[in-house]
Amino acid sequence: MASDNEKKETEKETAEEKIGVYICHCGGNISDHVDVQKVRDNIANLPGVVTAYTNMFMCSDPGQELIQKDIKDGKINRVVVASCAPSLHELTFRGAIKRAGMNPYLYEHANIREQVSWVHDGEKATAKATSLVAAAIAKTRNQEPLDPIRVEARNHTIVIGGGIAGLRAAHDLSARGIQVALVEKSPFLGGQTAMLNELVPTGEKAGDLIQALSRQVLDDENITVYTCTEVIRYEGYVGNFKLTLKSSPPESKKDLEKMALLADKNNPSREFVPFAGIYPARVPDNSEEMVLDTGAIVFATGFQLYTPRDGEYGFNENPEVITLPDLIRHLAEHPSSGRALEIGGRKIERVALIHCVGSRMIPGIHEPDADGNLNEYCSRTCCSATLQAANQIRERHPDTHVFEYYRDIRTYGRGHEEYYERASDNHVMFFRFEPEDPPVVERSTSGRHPLKVTVKDTLTFGEELEAEVDLVVLSVGMEPSNIRDLVEMMKLPVGADRFLQEVHPKLRPVEVANTGILLAGTCQAPMDVGEACSAAQAASVKASILLTKGYVELDPFVAEVDPEKCTGHGLCAEACPIEGAIELQEMEADADKVKRAEVIPALCTGCGICVAVCPENAIDIKGWTLKEYEDMVDAIVAI
Amino acid sequence: MTTQANNASEGKILILATESCAYPGANSVGQAHSSYPANTYILRVRAPALFPEKFYLDCFEKGIGGIIIMACGEECPYEGAYTALAKRIDRVFQMMKKRGYDLRRLRLTAICTVCNRAFLKEITQMNELIQELGAPSNDIEAAAAEAAS
Amino acid sequence: MDTDQVMKFDALIVGGGIGGLQTALDLADQNFKVAVVEKEATIGGKMILLSKVFPTLDCASCITTPKMAAAAHHDNITLFTYCDLKTLDRDTDGITAAVTQRPRYVDPVKCIGCRQCEYACPVYVSDEVQGGFSLRKAIYIPFSTAIPQLALMDVENCSLCGKCARVCPTEAIDYFQQPKDFVIQARTAILATGFKLTPLDQKKEYGQGEIENVITSLQMERLLAPNGPYQRVIRPSDGKEPDSIAYVQCAGSRDKSLGIPYCSRVCCMYAIKQAMLLSGSLPLADITIYYMDIRAFGKGYEQFFQNAKAMGIEFVKAKVAKITPGENQAVTIRYEDQEGAGGVLTREHDLVVLSSGMVPDWNPMGVCPVSIEEDAFIKSVMPKIAPTLTDLEGVFVAGVAAGPKDIVDTIAEAGAAAMEASNYLNAQKRKQAA
Repeated sequence: MASDNEKKETEKETAEEKIGVYICHCGGNISDHVDVQKVRDNIANLPGVVTAYTNMFMCSDPGQELIQKDIKDGKINRVVVASCAPSLHELTFRGAIKRAGMNPYLYEHANIREQVSWVHDGEKATAKATSLVAAAIAKTRNQEPLDPIRVEARNHTIVIGGGIAGLRAAHDLSARGIQVALVEKSPFLGGQTAMLNELVPTGEKAGDLIQALSRQVLDDENITVYTCTEVIRYEGYVGNFKLTLKSSPPESKKDLEKMALLADKNNPSREFVPFAGIYPARVPDNSEEMVLDTGAIVFATGFQLYTPRDGEYGFNENPEVITLPDLIRHLAEHPSSGRALEIGGRKIERVALIHCVGSRMIPGIHEPDADGNLNEYCSRTCCSATLQAANQIRERHPDTHVFEYYRDIRTYGRGHEEYYERASDNHVMFFRFEPEDPPVVERSTSGRHPLKVTVKDTLTFGEELEAEVDLVVLSVGMEPSNIRDLVEMMKLPVGADRFLQEVHPKLRPVEVANTGILLAGTCQAPMDVGEACSAAQAASVKASILLTKGYVELDPFVAEVDPEKCTGHGLCAEACPIEGAIELQEMEADADKVKRAEVIPALCTGCGICVAVCPENAIDIKGWTLKEYEDMVDAIVAI
Repeated sequence: MTTQANNASEGKILILATESCAYPGANSVGQAHSSYPANTYILRVRAPALFPEKFYLDCFEKGIGGIIIMACGEECPYEGAYTALAKRIDRVFQMMKKRGYDLRRLRLTAICTVCNRAFLKEITQMNELIQELGAPSNDIEAAAAEAAS
Repeated sequence: MDTDQVMKFDALIVGGGIGGLQTALDLADQNFKVAVVEKEATIGGKMILLSKVFPTLDCASCITTPKMAAAAHHDNITLFTYCDLKTLDRDTDGITAAVTQRPRYVDPVKCIGCRQCEYACPVYVSDEVQGGFSLRKAIYIPFSTAIPQLALMDVENCSLCGKCARVCPTEAIDYFQQPKDFVIQARTAILATGFKLTPLDQKKEYGQGEIENVITSLQMERLLAPNGPYQRVIRPSDGKEPDSIAYVQCAGSRDKSLGIPYCSRVCCMYAIKQAMLLSGSLPLADITIYYMDIRAFGKGYEQFFQNAKAMGIEFVKAKVAKITPGENQAVTIRYEDQEGAGGVLTREHDLVVLSSGMVPDWNPMGVCPVSIEEDAFIKSVMPKIAPTLTDLEGVFVAGVAAGPKDIVDTIAEAGAAAMEASNYLNAQKRKQAA
């Protein structure tokens, strides 16, 4: 009933266009150069125009009341305002029209200040203003009332990844009143942060932070934690995603190694296990699938460490070549304070730390991996972490000498530069190399130390310097986790660096083109713990914006198919850049089964690509129809 | 010097300006009070990928002397729309050629929100061109004459 | 207290730069009522004054204006520009802030931003927005994309000739306008007070701002901006197109002699960006960057740096010891070469840009009982897992107010602050309900 009435109302409202035109003097800004009275006279008799006024200040309250009165008196059902740029007052007039009880989209704005009176003069200005007002009148004649698109949204988010960013996001979303499912592939919470010891620059224990956040998450009845679980199927759109999860017993070597660190794998606990994480639940014995409905998806799939290639700086060929995470772990697990560092019973008198291993690679200098990938980016965290380790060695083991081989020291963070200075005070020796001439690690023949590092040191004007060492530590960079399945499944954009790609680094930094999917932390780019938590919170606030109202409100400017005209070519679906935004659907027409294009408004961005390719002219963008543009061009040509 | 007489024989320039870049760019020119020929008509568009090939040809048929598409370029907020547009314009050029229109009557360019100089340059160039070429129907006649000879 | 002068909001944001605006939008989009207090006459902060931004080389205005406009038109956001924050503290009611609206001498309700006053004004004053390279009037709108588009009078330079009042079509000029005090009450506050460039008047070695043709990086931003003072790059002393331009990195960062030991995080990248833009507008010019370490650590930054190297921009690892005036208005740089042949060398350039660092633009002392660190930026009490928490309950910090940061990191942190603030508001609501 109600809808019938509404329909009648709408029909009545738009049946016969009665256009009111309001032309602004802008206190002389327009009227000094445009004869506004003449513009009014020129357009007053155009078809559909029932009233036409000029006014000193249309944007003022009396100006707006002029429009509102005409609406309320039933004199007009379309509005054209000719004044300044629409960016200034389009919303002002939409608001005024709405308050007067008319649909705010039955209105068009003609820009006769910035694009006429401020750039042209005399009769030409008046003529052009007339044309633009006539074009606006032509456009408004075919306008239809529009309403924002409302999509019901589930008050639920799935967070993929249980590292520090995933934990942070899950906690924040729940605190905001949103139900959360935290899905973690491994049996542990804490991710890569669990592989660290003390964090730069606060010196806090990584385990303490993970434990604090995990407790909040595990104690929270609004958060369900699924470990040993992966996402295997995906469908739907913002507000209404449907994800299939699969839990299965852990198989990867890494997971099994971490499991071995547990006192009792049948006894989950909330205590942090160093270099494993939190083990919150028993691993499943069998595989199981389940389906979850959710409103938004937060990606917190994190990173993996670069594995040096065989022979890269002697890696895998010499047992004395290890990675920085290996060293961090050793230092954490052996807090002894002998005069010299010892590893595996071997006294380390001299250690070489090499920066930028698997980072800042340059095409033509560095070899791509088997898949053709090159990590051209800086991994951001390794400089500070390397200096931290260097200082720790020097301060704990004064008889161990430390040499650092670097390209640029990037201690950019607050409180990080101090590590660099402390390293100098601690007599860490620095050698600087160019990417074309990296240090060479070889076995030493002297017998005093097993390895020899040779470098062309640019700090001593390119002199070739040799140092014999007992240990070489490679500061390995970050690579995105292997989430190829998820990327393909959800059609996620990936950058040249293989990290997930945001829509725009400044305008929409935690969103991807698929509305409702958000990026948190190192799945997007290398970050340290603080930066990853910031990013996770930024992603959470976007999810909150989407979900806390119970519905998602989207602009009405989306594609609309006229099923009468559509003949099911499917060119629109082919051309559409958004997966699933417009698709052919089977439907009944005159007792026949036919295929017709259908738009999912929640997915459509309103770009109009489909409009242009439809051979039947069956598609239009609401509010910006092709016919409106053609009419505008006709009006411009006519006057 | 370009003349600014605003009569029908002078020809009109249609500008399709994206609402997120070029349209505010045109306003910025206005705020700087930089004068330019008045035979320019700026239509605000979300993404020019909306317009089919026919739209452009129809415009020329209706007597529009030149069209400048002022897009966002790589800063396009709609995924894939700029690429689609560039491809479409290539096809429009082919169709224009077939009909005998001078291809310079259609320009695809990127204009940012404060690209005042680029905006003015585009307009000046197009205006000079259409003053020289005259109405688009001239092109067809000329092309036909050439084909006949 | 005059109760009419108390305005209530859910959140108060101090600072209307890109960080403050992002926080405001992220809160307002969740239906929280937000007040933004900005000391300048327009929102947009430093970002709106930049030319292009790294690493995408998007035009800065194109990225900033949509956020400025979104904030200005948002039903849940109220902007208070040209306002001073006198005090901000919390009590049992939440946050109370005393604010003073400085007089614009223009009625903001009547002013339509038409600039007739500006055109009529006979007084020319150096335009700080354009880096001091061009002139503005004594009554003016800061720049074409300023929000709000309201004129303001610079009374110190006004000659009281009355021309503006005579031409104003809305009679908005008010020579007798007084400062107006009011109170904002909110349940939470976010400090997004941003930065200013390191003042170099302490740095004798770099000429203390006295040497012609030694400019700051923000001045270079204006020279490069499409709506800049000359709309092309010329050196200020004589209008010559420079053939050789040098960047002095860490000018006021990583410098203990200035009491600024920290890295300002953005100077490497903006110098590289400016160098790239310069090689576009002055293809024949030589561009040299004197640096200690190139810190291109953000997403896509290293690739950007490598591109600049491939374009032929010269990078010299050196510590610049002294900058002095040279022959023919050139500038002489003495530097300690840390690569190549080594030693102390001298070179001349037509134009020298100081890659100045960041210092906080606001000191809470005497205004707000929130702690700062030794570096004078606001103290973050949990920098690792909750970077926007300060030591004052219900008060959060975002962007450069909590340490130097680029735009990308500032925007991320602004979102984080909005998340913390919304959860704080939510918890309070729940408490009240219980």
